[in-house]
Amino acid sequence: MNRSIAPTILLLSVLVGPDVRAQEFDVKTHTLKNGLKILVHEDHSIPSVALHIFYRVGSRNERPGTTGLSHYFEHMMFNGAKKYGPGEFDRVMEANGGANNASTSQNVTIYEDWFPSAALELIFDLEADRIANLSFDPKVEESERAVVANERRVSVDNNNLGVLNEQLWATAFSAHPYQWPVIGWISDIESWKTEDLQNHFRMGYSPSNATMVFAGAVKFEEIVKLAERYLEVIPSRSPPTPITTQEPEQHGERRVVVHKFAQLPILMIGYHVPRTNSPEFYPLQVLETVLLSGQSSRMYQRLVDKEQVALSVAGGWDWAFDPTLFEFTVQLKTGVEVSKAEQVFNEELERLQRDGITDQELQKAKNIRIAEFYRQMKTIDGKSNTIGSYEVFFGDYRKLFSAAEDYAKVTRDEVQRVAQRYFTEKNRTTATLIPEPAAAARSDTGQVR
Amino acid sequence: MKLIAKLGLGLWMAGACAPLAVAQGPSVELKLPPYKRVKLENGMTLLLMEQHEVPLISFSVVIRSGAVVDPPGKEGLAAVTAELLRKGTKTRTADQLSSDLDFIGGQLAANASPDSSSIAAEFVTKDLVKGLDLLADVILSPTFPADEVAKVLKQRLDGIKAAKDRAQGVIGQYFNRYLYGSHPYARPPAGDETSLATLTRDDVVRFYGANYIPGGIIFAVSGDFATSEVEKLLTGKFSTWRAKPSPAVRFPDPIPVQGKRLLLVDKPDATQTFFRIGNVGVARSNPDRVWIDVVNTLFGGRFTSWLSTELRIKSGLTYGAGSSFDERLKPGPFFISSFTPNATTVQALDLALATLKRLHEQGISEDELRSAKTYIKGQFPPQIETTDRLAATIAELEFFGLDEREVNTLYSKVDAMTLADAKRIVREYFPLGNLLFVLIGKASEIEPIVKKYAPSIDRKSIMEGGF
Repeated sequence: MNRSIAPTILLLSVLVGPDVRAQEFDVKTHTLKNGLKILVHEDHSIPSVALHIFYRVGSRNERPGTTGLSHYFEHMMFNGAKKYGPGEFDRVMEANGGANNASTSQNVTIYEDWFPSAALELIFDLEADRIANLSFDPKVEESERAVVANERRVSVDNNNLGVLNEQLWATAFSAHPYQWPVIGWISDIESWKTEDLQNHFRMGYSPSNATMVFAGAVKFEEIVKLAERYLEVIPSRSPPTPITTQEPEQHGERRVVVHKFAQLPILMIGYHVPRTNSPEFYPLQVLETVLLSGQSSRMYQRLVDKEQVALSVAGGWDWAFDPTLFEFTVQLKTGVEVSKAEQVFNEELERLQRDGITDQELQKAKNIRIAEFYRQMKTIDGKSNTIGSYEVFFGDYRKLFSAAEDYAKVTRDEVQRVAQRYFTEKNRTTATLIPEPAAAARSDTGQVR
Repeated sequence: MKLIAKLGLGLWMAGACAPLAVAQGPSVELKLPPYKRVKLENGMTLLLMEQHEVPLISFSVVIRSGAVVDPPGKEGLAAVTAELLRKGTKTRTADQLSSDLDFIGGQLAANASPDSSSIAAEFVTKDLVKGLDLLADVILSPTFPADEVAKVLKQRLDGIKAAKDRAQGVIGQYFNRYLYGSHPYARPPAGDETSLATLTRDDVVRFYGANYIPGGIIFAVSGDFATSEVEKLLTGKFSTWRAKPSPAVRFPDPIPVQGKRLLLVDKPDATQTFFRIGNVGVARSNPDRVWIDVVNTLFGGRFTSWLSTELRIKSGLTYGAGSSFDERLKPGPFFISSFTPNATTVQALDLALATLKRLHEQGISEDELRSAKTYIKGQFPPQIETTDRLAATIAELEFFGLDEREVNTLYSKVDAMTLADAKRIVREYFPLGNLLFVLIGKASEIEPIVKKYAPSIDRKSIMEGGF
């Protein structure tokens, strides 16, 4: 399971430093009459194309009773439309040298195709078929429901990190839809109906709610021509109803405990932070880097290396349309009390709030972000993902080109202020997984069918 | 944690068989970009490939000694030694190394596989000199400080416990241990609870001294640099490193398992059974490797493969099913893998076996063969898209005694395959009667129903040390 798109995206750019080649990075755009926006970056380094299609719909657009529906729907997008029946989308794509994947988050659903440029027109035909004419077959729905239940078992029920993370979010959010898991509660997985799928399609899958990003061995003019032929005829519908629920301010620490068969305890801590498109985005990114990036990072140094209370510490925050959580995951070592690890962790954040970060740490964080930007730009897949993520979460892919400048502007004071504002006890949710012996282990609670 | 995908990464693409793309018509062969090979007088091999698309430089260093060199009872030694390289040198403490590396946004990680140890590093072009200085320092002058050794050993012990809390993270170790018996490929590369407890700083120092020697090192670099400049830098850093005789790493070919055997690992909280079914597979140098990949693509190597179609797409028994050949110096494991709810364990195992049987009895069709060929060709270019992939590729070719033809003739080899070839490949390389089963699951529920797969069952608890 990927942690999220955000940390792998880490975009940055370009303008600072002696090396400015990435500035030449060229993106052309075109919007069809039905509102579908297309972004194209031509890159002929290999004879291949990476396509990302972002739909601005995810688990935040769900409600109690249909949690997990966005993700289930994503699976159903591969199960047959009008021209290409059940299984044909994948069979035809692979037979023509292409491969695909798709993912769902709280905010977006993303479809990815990687294919030789010779298969370009076919990809348009395949994608247009399922966007315009997806079919709903009850037998296929049942089989896919079981696949999703199995995905839940492997990623949550049989994964201690998955179980605890679900509880962290369910506890930290009491009003906003980020409180339920993207995969959905098992009782909802058992209860989705065909009309739920149909409603979801009408709600989230209007061409005007999508952004397509091509990177690779393509020509912009050809993409526009094919898009007009295959996609422009698909009618536009109204966008999803805006999510108006705002999570109220948290006025005291929340705690949740999970007792589960395990050899080692786990500690997860979350703090409410703003949405991605906010003035505090860059200071928070610097903060994340200083705390968590590399073996010289503050949390690694203190928890893993010096006090040796933890086996690993990781974290960060997802790109999100609404205020979200900055999370930390600490895998404890044998014999370490959870309270001890919490105390050391809290001390480290208090020190940060009291003393701020050093000039050297600020420069290090900027250097790490620049290097990560280049790493993202190594592949057509990374480019496609990056361009699309900026377009979707910042409302404009060109924010990508000012990111280096935006990082350069971040000051030590800003970083300290952000730490003081968000990493407070009142704003904290703490989740702990406490190992219990085998005898107490429960049996399967996740039966489907 | 909140992004969940159609396919979890790494669910089955565990082996050396990467998913590999172009539609109909005669293939235009790919070409591996040219690179320079330099042999230093002390025996060290340098491979240099310029690539100027992105201002990064990637290093792939292979040391010709891996976990198979771990002395019996000292499993994990190669991996521990590799991890400790960056934990202190003659001129830098572990903290200094980390802060110097992080300050320039560099990456440097070392590990051991069964056949070799390796270091992967990457730096921004403008920091080449600083980065190379760090990389050379950890290769030439590690000091293995006692407190750092103790820390790493303690962490790795706990790491095994944490890994055992997630069945899919450890099933490979159980499978390989059970399959290879007394052969060195049985040794868990990361060690186990017992072996790690016996490791000492002396073991590490000895392992480093015997195995990190110029003649045993392949040093590949790809990225945004001028070959003459980097050759000079590298020669300056490494030519004074004293030559030593190479340890001859010799071990026999593994013997495939005869008949049926089954190991059941009890994980009492499991609501799913994770399983692998297989036998000894093939070596990386096997002359049929491209064609094996074609057949395996169809059988279990892609989303529409037979196994995935049967166990996931048509029946919903699992979220992922596939098969893989882990190609090594000597024949590595071949395995079918999947997972399914406790209650459908037998149904999923039966279906996997029936699908394997169908591969032998019915075989693949002309259409399928064409599809797999196009898929492999269409998906290959991204495998050599980046500097880190290119550095790793040329280092790997050198390690296995292969050359650029591996890439440059891939398409024509794929194109040349016929249905008769496919039939032979299935018969020779996909075991049918002789199969080894490893299951991790809730024994109290599944033991009675899985007895039928082998004459007798071997049992372990996931709480026991070792694999």
